[in-house]
Amino acid sequence: MAKIIAIVEDDPDQRSNYKDAISKKGYEVRAYASRDEALAGFNDGLPDLAILDIILGEEVDAGFQLCRDLLTRSPNLPVIFLTERIDEIDKISGLRLGAWDYLPKPISLDYLAERISSLLRINEARDQEPEIDNSAARQIGELALDTDALLASWRGQRIDLSGTEFRMLEKLVRMPGHAVSYETLMNATMQSIVSNNTINTHMRNIRKKFEKVDADFSSIKSEYGYGYRWSEQ
Amino acid sequence: MKFNDRVKGPRLGTKLFLFGLALLVVPWFSYQQLVDMERILVQSQSQAQLLTAKSISTLFNGREDLFNDLPVNLEDFEPLFAHPLQNSIRLDALVDDWDQNLLDDYLSFGSLSGTRDGDFQLLLGERADQLYAHMRIKDQNLVYRDPDYLRLDNADHIRLDFIRNDGEDGRITLVLQESRVTGFAMDDEWRFAATGSADNRIQGYVRQEGDEVVIEFRFPIALLGSRRFFGITFVDVDDPNTRAIVGSTRTLPTAGKQSFNLVVLRSPEVRNIIQGLGFSGSRILVIDNEKRVRAETGAIQTVSPSPDRTTWFEKIALWLETARAWVQSLILKEVYTGPAEPEIDKDKTADIAIESSLSGEPIAMRSRADVNNEIILAAHPIISADAVIGTVVVEQNIEDILSYQRAALDQATMVSVLSLFAVFIALLVFAGRLAWRIRNLRREANAAIDSYGRLRIGELRNEMHAGDEIGDLARSVSNMLSRLHRHNTFLESMPRTLRHEINNPLNTLSTSLQNLAEEHPGVGQSKYLDSAKRGVHRIGSIVQNLADAANLEDALETEELEAVDIGELLENYVANCNLVHPQTNFFYRGPGRPAVAMVSDFRIEQILDKIIDNAVDFHRPDTAIRVQLDCYRDQLQITVANRGPSLPDAVEKSVFDSMVSHRGPQNRLHFGLGLYVVRIIAEYHGGTVRAMNLVDGSGVAVMVQLPLAQDINVGHRSHPIVPDRVSAG
Repeated sequence: MAKIIAIVEDDPDQRSNYKDAISKKGYEVRAYASRDEALAGFNDGLPDLAILDIILGEEVDAGFQLCRDLLTRSPNLPVIFLTERIDEIDKISGLRLGAWDYLPKPISLDYLAERISSLLRINEARDQEPEIDNSAARQIGELALDTDALLASWRGQRIDLSGTEFRMLEKLVRMPGHAVSYETLMNATMQSIVSNNTINTHMRNIRKKFEKVDADFSSIKSEYGYGYRWSEQ
Repeated sequence: MKFNDRVKGPRLGTKLFLFGLALLVVPWFSYQQLVDMERILVQSQSQAQLLTAKSISTLFNGREDLFNDLPVNLEDFEPLFAHPLQNSIRLDALVDDWDQNLLDDYLSFGSLSGTRDGDFQLLLGERADQLYAHMRIKDQNLVYRDPDYLRLDNADHIRLDFIRNDGEDGRITLVLQESRVTGFAMDDEWRFAATGSADNRIQGYVRQEGDEVVIEFRFPIALLGSRRFFGITFVDVDDPNTRAIVGSTRTLPTAGKQSFNLVVLRSPEVRNIIQGLGFSGSRILVIDNEKRVRAETGAIQTVSPSPDRTTWFEKIALWLETARAWVQSLILKEVYTGPAEPEIDKDKTADIAIESSLSGEPIAMRSRADVNNEIILAAHPIISADAVIGTVVVEQNIEDILSYQRAALDQATMVSVLSLFAVFIALLVFAGRLAWRIRNLRREANAAIDSYGRLRIGELRNEMHAGDEIGDLARSVSNMLSRLHRHNTFLESMPRTLRHEINNPLNTLSTSLQNLAEEHPGVGQSKYLDSAKRGVHRIGSIVQNLADAANLEDALETEELEAVDIGELLENYVANCNLVHPQTNFFYRGPGRPAVAMVSDFRIEQILDKIIDNAVDFHRPDTAIRVQLDCYRDQLQITVANRGPSLPDAVEKSVFDSMVSHRGPQNRLHFGLGLYVVRIIAEYHGGTVRAMNLVDGSGVAVMVQLPLAQDINVGHRSHPIVPDRVSAG
C-alpha cells in the first residue's frame, strides 16, 4: 500500500509541482491549500508523512500550528517544514516543535523525494526497535552513527540531530582526520543555496549538542578558510 | 549634501544681549526729557518772576518822590551806609553774627594808616528798625568811666550827633563801662548828662582785644528822625589819673560840608508799598539808581540738607538714594550739573542783573546760592519820565522746582534702571534657556543619525511637550524621524521581504524546471535548461547575500564570543588559502606569541574571506598576498596586502560603506556588500577597519584592528564565554 504524503502549500503552482514529483515516486499525495482544508483532511485520516509550508495565506504561522496538531494526534509522525522562512529563529522553533527536518526553499525535488523516503525508512526502523542487525551502523572512535535510523550517539549517549545535521556529521566523519571542505558540507545539506555561514551555523549547533552530553567535546575542528575536520580526541 | 560646521555667526545669547543693550536708550530718553522739562519750568518761572518784577516796578513808575527823600546829590554828605542785616544780632561785641560778606565794608576813620590811637573802623547795619553799629577802636589805654565822677567826659567815650524828629540837635554819649555801654543824653558842652538816668533805648557791649576796643551797640532808627543826619565821635582819654581828653576821632565831615553824616537806609515808604507784595519763597528788593537798597521784603526759603532718616521707609529711601547716586555716577554722571548754563556766583549775578536793569533792560537770571539752593533773579527797571530811577529785583528759590525735577529724575532713573536690570536678567535667562533648549535639541537630533547615516532612534524625547516654536520644531523633527524610521524599517526589511517574495516564485520555477526535465527526458540535456537552472541559482544567491547583509547586525547579536588565538586562526586560514587558491601565493607573518581576542571565530573567518577574496581579485598575477598579524599593547592588527592597482583617494574612506563597489561592471555578483560586512563585523567586535594604498603605490593594504583580550587563557573551545545574550542553541 502506497504511503500517504500530505502536502500543505498555499501556492497552487508549487503545490502541483510537489504533487506531481512526489506522486511519480509512487506515493499517494494529498495536497491542501490552507490550514482548515488540511485539518479537515486529517480528520479523514492521518498521513504517513507531512510536508508543511509555514505561511498559509494570511496566517503567518499556520504551519507551526498544523505541526502541533499533527504531533498531538500522532507523536511519531515525520513532519518536514518546507518554507521560504529561513531565518534561524524560525528554524529553531520548527525543530523544537518536533519537526524532523526544516528545508528552505528553493528545494531540489530529487532531494525532497530522497528525504521523504529516508524519513519513512527511519520511522519504520525506529518502529522496529530493538533490531540488532546494524548493517547501517558505524563506529568512529567514541561516535556511533546509525545511518538508517539517523541516530547518533557519543560515548553511548544519544545525540539528537536533525536530518541535515546528521548528514553533515556523516560527511565530516567519512575520513576522520581529514579536512572536509565547505563545498562538500554544502552538498550534504541537500539545499540548493547554501552559504558558509549556514554551514558554520549548523556546525555550531552540532557542537553544542555534543557539548551538552560531554563538556570536553572538541572533535570538530575548524579549518579556517576551508571547512571542518573531525579529529579523534 | 554636507553643511560646513564652521558656519558660525553670533550665538542667540549674544544677539539677545546686544538687543538688550538697546534698552539703555530708554533711561537716556527720559533723562533728556526731564532736562527739557526742567528748562521749560525754569524758563516759565523766570518769565513769571520777570512779570512780578515788572508789575511791582509799575507801582513805582513815576513815583520819583518816593526815592527823593534822600538827597539825590550826595556830594554834600559823607554817607554812612547801614547794611540790611539778615540775622538777629546779639550784642556781644563779636562780629560772628554779622553777615560775613559785610566784613570788608568797614569804614575807617582817623589817620590814613589806621594804627594811631583813637582810629576806628565802623560797620553799620539795620534790622527791625534798629540801627546796629560795630566799632573797632585803636586804643592803647582804655579808661572806663569812674562812677565817682559826675562828668561823663573824663573817660573813653563815644559821642553820637544827630538831628531829632523835632529838628533839634540830639547829643548822646555812650559811656564805656566794664563790658557795658550806656547812653546818656548830654548837655551842649558834652560834659554832663542832660537827664539823670541813662537812655535805655541804647544798648551795647564792649570788649577789649589787645590794643583794640570792640564795641557793639544798637539804637532805634526812630531816634534819628526822618532825615537821619548822624555822626559818631570817639573821644580818647588815656591817663586814668588826669583823665584829660587826649584826642577825638570823628566821622563828621571836614569843614565846608554839612556837619553831619547821612545814614543811608532803605526808604520806609517804599518798603510799605512792597510789604504786602512779598510772597512765600521770594524776596523783593527795590534798589535806586545809586544801587542802594531802598526796600526789601520776604526771604528766600532755603532748603536744608535732608534730616536724619529713621523709619524703615526712609531707610529704604536712603538706600535707594545711595543706590541712585551710585547708578547716576555709573550711567548719567552729570545729572545735577544738568542745564548747560554756566554757574555764576550769586553776587556777581545780582550785580549784572542790577546793572542791566538800571540801564533799562529787564533781565532774568539763574544763579546758585549754595550747594543746595538755586535761585532765579529777575530785575525790572522803574521808569519815570524816560529815566530809570531804580529797579525791582525779585529773587525766588527754584529749589522746589528743581527738587521736583530731581525727584522725578530719581524715580525715572531708579524705575528704568531697575526695570532695565530686571528685563536684562530676564532676557539673559530667557536667552540662555532658549539656547540651551535648542542646543539640546540639536544634540539629540544630531545623535539620531550616526556617522554612516543610520537611524539610531525613531523619535525625540526632548522638548516634545513644549508649547512654543521649539516644541513645534522638536515635534516636526521627531515626526520626520519617525517617518524616516518607518521608511528605514521598510528599506531594511526590503531584502528580507524580497527574499521571501522571490523565494516562492523561484521555488515554483525551480521545481517546474525539474518536473519539466523529468517529463521530457530529452530536455534534461538541453543547455537552455542548464542556463535556466544557473539563472535560478544566481537569483537565489543574490537574494540570499542581500538578506544576509541586511540581517547581519541582528545575527551578530546572537553570536557568542570566545577567547580565540588569532595567530593560530590566521596561520590555519592562510595555509588553507594556499589549498583553495592554488595559483596564488600567500605569506603569513605572525608575532610569534599568542594573540588572544574575544571573537566569534567564524565571523573573523568571514572577514578574512571577504578581504582575501578582494585581495585575490585585485592582485597582480605572480605576486604574493601577504597576511600579517601585529600585536600592540591592547590591540592586534591584521594586515592583508596585495600588489595591484591603487585605490583612488576618494575611495579610501567609502570602500567600507554599503553598496559601494569599485570593481566595475564585469563583476555582477558583487554589490559592495563584502567590505561593508567586514566593517560591521569588525565594529561589532569593538575594532576598526581601514584600507590604504601601500606607501610605494604598488598596491593596497586592508587593516583590521581588534582589541586584545585581557588576562584570558586560551583553550580551544574549553571555556566558551557567553555574553549576556540569549544563546541560539
